[in-house]
Amino acid sequence: MTEVWEKVQHPSAGGIDLFVGTVRNHSSGETIDRLEYTSYVPMAEREMAKIETAIRSRWPVYNAVLIHRIGMLNVGEIAVVTAVSSSHRNEAFEACRFAIDAIKLSVPIWKKEFTPAGGIVVSSAEHGSVS
Amino acid sequence: MTDIVVKLFGPVRDIVGEEEFHFKVSPDETAATVFEALCARYPDLSRWRPVVRLAVNLEYVQFNHHVSGGDEVCIIPPVSGG
Repeated sequence: MTEVWEKVQHPSAGGIDLFVGTVRNHSSGETIDRLEYTSYVPMAEREMAKIETAIRSRWPVYNAVLIHRIGMLNVGEIAVVTAVSSSHRNEAFEACRFAIDAIKLSVPIWKKEFTPAGGIVVSSAEHGSVS
Repeated sequence: MTDIVVKLFGPVRDIVGEEEFHFKVSPDETAATVFEALCARYPDLSRWRPVVRLAVNLEYVQFNHHVSGGDEVCIIPPVSGG
């Protein structure tokens, strides 16, 4: 987080917006205690870079930091961070919101959630396609 | 060269039980025909057709995107990052 802060700062920035996505302890009505993120990393990096480009084309942003962790994470751990610095707070809020929404739509990362007993929680997206 | 690599990810990788295949493509091969060939081998995959996206060489493509030898085709189920 310190590195994120250092990277996003800019002397001309009047506003820095930071979103942190954390692992929560419930999903689809079940208790979970950890999850695993897998990814197609080369394509994920390209998609993240495209999101940064899109942000810069829409808002006057100084620095943008977009990070998503992969591998096994426990409840409460940080999964994703989007941070944006801009002259004013409106652009920072909007760009930061756009970044996390875009990551959730297009970056090839998948989560698998585990119950304390070791069962896998099936998400609603999978329910939809299986029925 | 007529070979392509097909990669599976996330839940579709789990269902099929494999991460990677090698296919020989025909001249009028598309991303869709590659996916359908995989479904013929693994029928459980067909029910994902309404929700998967396909990518060729690290870029999302339409289903009718032409595929040539040397390409890498990825079957991308609904993403769940963030």
